[in-house]
Amino acid sequence: MSIRDLLSPFTAWKYLLKNPVTIPDPLNDRPGSARYRGFHKNDNEKCIGCGTCEAICQNGAIDMLPVKGTATQEGDSGLRPRIDYGRCCWCALCVDVCMTGSLTMSNEYKWVESDPDAFRFTPGVDEKFWDNAELGYQRPEDHRLVEAKRVTMEEMDADTRINSFAEIVNGYSIEQAKLEADRCVACGICIATCPTHMAIPDYIDAVREGNYERGLKLLYETNPFSNVCGRVCTRKCESACASRHEGEPIAIRWLKRHIIDQVPFEKYREIIGEPDAPTGKKVAIIGAGPAGMTAAFDLVRMGHEVVVYEAKAAAGGMTRYGIPEYRLPYDALDRDIELIVSLGVKVHYNTRIGSDIAMAQLEQDFDAVLLAIGLQEGRQTRIPKSEHEKVYRAVDLLDKITSEEAFELPHCAVVIGGGNVAMDIARSLARMQKQQYDQVDVVVTAMEDQQHFMADADEIKEALEEGIIIRDNCGPQGCEIDESGHLIGLKTWKVLSILDENNRFAPTYDDSDETIHACDTVIEAIGQFSDTSLLGEELTEKLEWNRGRIDIDSNGRTSESWLWSAGDCVSGPDVVHAVADGHRVASSINSYISSNESSIDKQS
Amino acid sequence: MTDNTEGHISGKDKLEACSTLKEILQQATEFERTARDFYAELAPKVSKKIRYLVDELVIEEQNHYDLFIDLANDPEVAAQIKQEIITPPSNKRFSDCIQLPDLGDNPDDQTILQYALGREQAAMDQYNSLADSTPEGPLKDVFTFLAQEETEHKNELEKIYYEVVHSGGV
Amino acid sequence: MAYQPDRSQYPQPGADGKLDIDLTSGKYLKLWQGPQHPGITGNMAVELTVCGDEVVEGKVHVGYLHRGFEKLMERRTFIQCFPIVCRICVPEPDFNEYCYAAAVEELAGIEIPEQARWIRALILEMGRINSFLMYCGGQAGSYGMGVISQWTTYVRDLMLDRFEELTGARIYHMFILPGGVRDTLPEGFAQRMEETLREIEITMKDVYETMYCNAVFKKRTVGLGVIDPELLDSYGVTGPNARAAGVAKDVRKDQPYLIYPELDFEPILGQDSDIYTRADLRRQDILQSVDLVRQILAKMPKEGPVMSKLPNVLHWKIPRGETYIRGECSRGEYGYYLVTDGSGFPRRVNVRGPSYTHAMSLLERMIVNINIADVAGLMVSLHTYPPEIER
Repeated sequence: MSIRDLLSPFTAWKYLLKNPVTIPDPLNDRPGSARYRGFHKNDNEKCIGCGTCEAICQNGAIDMLPVKGTATQEGDSGLRPRIDYGRCCWCALCVDVCMTGSLTMSNEYKWVESDPDAFRFTPGVDEKFWDNAELGYQRPEDHRLVEAKRVTMEEMDADTRINSFAEIVNGYSIEQAKLEADRCVACGICIATCPTHMAIPDYIDAVREGNYERGLKLLYETNPFSNVCGRVCTRKCESACASRHEGEPIAIRWLKRHIIDQVPFEKYREIIGEPDAPTGKKVAIIGAGPAGMTAAFDLVRMGHEVVVYEAKAAAGGMTRYGIPEYRLPYDALDRDIELIVSLGVKVHYNTRIGSDIAMAQLEQDFDAVLLAIGLQEGRQTRIPKSEHEKVYRAVDLLDKITSEEAFELPHCAVVIGGGNVAMDIARSLARMQKQQYDQVDVVVTAMEDQQHFMADADEIKEALEEGIIIRDNCGPQGCEIDESGHLIGLKTWKVLSILDENNRFAPTYDDSDETIHACDTVIEAIGQFSDTSLLGEELTEKLEWNRGRIDIDSNGRTSESWLWSAGDCVSGPDVVHAVADGHRVASSINSYISSNESSIDKQS
Repeated sequence: MTDNTEGHISGKDKLEACSTLKEILQQATEFERTARDFYAELAPKVSKKIRYLVDELVIEEQNHYDLFIDLANDPEVAAQIKQEIITPPSNKRFSDCIQLPDLGDNPDDQTILQYALGREQAAMDQYNSLADSTPEGPLKDVFTFLAQEETEHKNELEKIYYEVVHSGGV
Repeated sequence: MAYQPDRSQYPQPGADGKLDIDLTSGKYLKLWQGPQHPGITGNMAVELTVCGDEVVEGKVHVGYLHRGFEKLMERRTFIQCFPIVCRICVPEPDFNEYCYAAAVEELAGIEIPEQARWIRALILEMGRINSFLMYCGGQAGSYGMGVISQWTTYVRDLMLDRFEELTGARIYHMFILPGGVRDTLPEGFAQRMEETLREIEITMKDVYETMYCNAVFKKRTVGLGVIDPELLDSYGVTGPNARAAGVAKDVRKDQPYLIYPELDFEPILGQDSDIYTRADLRRQDILQSVDLVRQILAKMPKEGPVMSKLPNVLHWKIPRGETYIRGECSRGEYGYYLVTDGSGFPRRVNVRGPSYTHAMSLLERMIVNINIADVAGLMVSLHTYPPEIER
């Protein structure tokens, strides 16, 4: 103890002369910092209602709810997060995990209400005074809680694959598949978008768990063409995937294929189970494509007798006679077919309804008939001189390739069309040219610019790698034929624009910008249509039609009570859509023939 | 298909001739009437699958026909009915269309659409030329209006054509 | 006054182990200090039995703050535990974030980026400064010097501003998450931090003059509340409480973590182990941490990632394992024991906070035979935060 200890405390008096450090008006003079985790903002346009914020919230403060004026649509659940500030702890995990970056925070932290319920609100929908705050927490650039990049699918390089029709992609290894499956946030937006509503997050979970038998069971619950769809699905799921907004979509198709690859085929039957007891009802199905065979799969499992009539020598429809082997090997397709047939479905191959058996006969012999004949015929451009014998339809040539039917392989081919069928024929011809002539000479011309081709980006990329030349913005105007009558080229005009203001097809051309694409063969791949002549005139006249297609109700039933139609011929070209159709009509047919309705119809 | 409808105007057709408005209106009315009747007759012959196309064309041509009847009865037009107008070079093709083709026993949707497109193109060209060669005034407005009508119809048909034929091949 | 080893003059334990105190005799009085009492550190209570103004028995009561965090975490995914842990200790939350994150990273086999290691250390030192400042105010307050807590609150508030601009929050920063830290330092942070550190140094000088060089404070604290160095290990005493007794216990030195081996510092030691020694040691610790913050800001890398790649946190599973991660918080050893069983949830989380040992077992012993008026000062000098006692 010293004299200093007695005097020193009095130095505190100097604070009398200091300015106060408190902020006089903290409500206005003290904004939150730039990173402040204040009240939530949500960009309603960007938000897709995936609910990942709800899933990660450890307080259960977020509920996904429907919002007035926000409709459910492809890739958007239409739900929006409502936050309960009685529960929120402002940890911002919801912002960190947000799949679109729509959810952010303002730096506002003062909010006075007399009504406690007001603190439960939907940011971005319920207007708040901080909605336009510039500062506040946003997920930092590299701060991701979910991997954005897809696991690369290894595939054969162009120089190797051009030499054969061997399948291009290798499939994921177990480790790769687990990594890819791990990226999924299981929001389920894909389920709504998938035409057949596959249990995507669940089977992806089965991949993560390594429980492939569970995965296969899940696949077969909604899709007996999983071998096919695991390879060539149009995968609308991936274009709706929440991961696509700030990264690449989950490789859902490859994960499906991975499950298929992991389960030995011998085990399929055991996993799928036996059909129900026979009902004594008979259903005829015309066309053994994905729609017809899916319906057959469902109906035979319900215990009905199913007879499928197929004009071709093998089942699969376009998946066999359209899609090339390098995309979908025949043995993969065969597995899907074999399983369905093994359940007791009878298939009559090389049997054409209309000529071999009349529709009226089927109507008489069966309780119900399903028409699933697909889009077999190729559309023609009918440009001048296109009636030349060396102008083919792509679907006809693809059919010949599968059927191993001989045709004169062009030395130099020009394809018209920018869709997947155009790529299929171009790449198939390229492979055959490589094998027979040791050089590739195929040109694809399309009216669209390359960014807007209907073909998948992968198809275009791979076609280019394989040495196929793509000339976009080319509108076909006529074929060129020399004096001796040989096809020597295709004339095109430069396309200036394709769509009108309503996004309808209305091309405009620059006729001064003309190109002659030299070739010995032209292949048209502009579209397909369905040949319905098998119906006969009487039935055609009896049926209701809708703009060129048989008119069906939401269950796939035509205006004739005994006839249903499904697949490409009524819904347009798409495998997975055909599968969905197959399920839909099977269920409708089942309820019809299981009720007394069908026998009453028969008697009358 | 564009080639079918364009660029076939021969030198002979380019000889200018004069007609009165009355003649032109009569020709146009006849054009629409024959078209309507042609489609109406065609409808039961085509497969029911594509009959909607023909039915729609009947309705459209009937509308045009009504339009011309109304025009002829319009006092403002009637006042100029005798006025002579330089017949445009496209007139030959226009009147050719009144001679109806044989689309075969069972024409398909693409054939019908191509034929209908050709007709609309000819009509459109005709009214455009008439409008060009008519001095400013109510008459020019009539032709401009008609040309617009035909253009719209042709554009609409073109879109249907592409939707039907160019489905994209997946 | 201190604990008298000769207990013959005091009530003896009965057959049930409880002291034989006859409250009806009029000789003893029960006094509750807390749970609402200016002389208690937070939400706890000490049940005192006094004889005159001398405490003959003190029972510490907790339970006012039990939120069951350890159990809650068993029902939350690993990422969902991250926003919870900071709440376990309100005044010094960052050690929870660090220990939890480091435990998860060890069991999941994740290495965090270099810059994140430095930023973590920066945050921990900032947290220590804040905690010490809070202590200073409390210790002064327990001796009637309320104005000092106003000064320390001011500089602590400046540090909270730095926290706010770095982490986006003032108290519960939720910034150190498994895999790294959320973000890098904001633009101009080092400069503003330097201004704050200077202000702290100025304020601590004033605090020194008025509190540490204060006859009253010295008179009441020197020689009071001595912790016998012999007791340290048996009672699990760590941190400044141990160092004031001359024993160099500092996890940053004993089991260096993060980037501490790269920093230049020596643990500060005291000798007398009384309240004054502990208070003065903590004052020096503030100044040392100020220096450490400067060292970190000068030496840390300014580029590179701050977050490692995590598996998808929504279905993050961690293989079977267990670990114990510790750090040197302002009050001693802070530790997390984490057990995982291969599922997506922690099997067991146990939080080891220094307050449990200091405020319960140690205090109950030290409180005996001191004057009622000194209870508050003694309790504060052990630097306890009740929320972490209960978890």
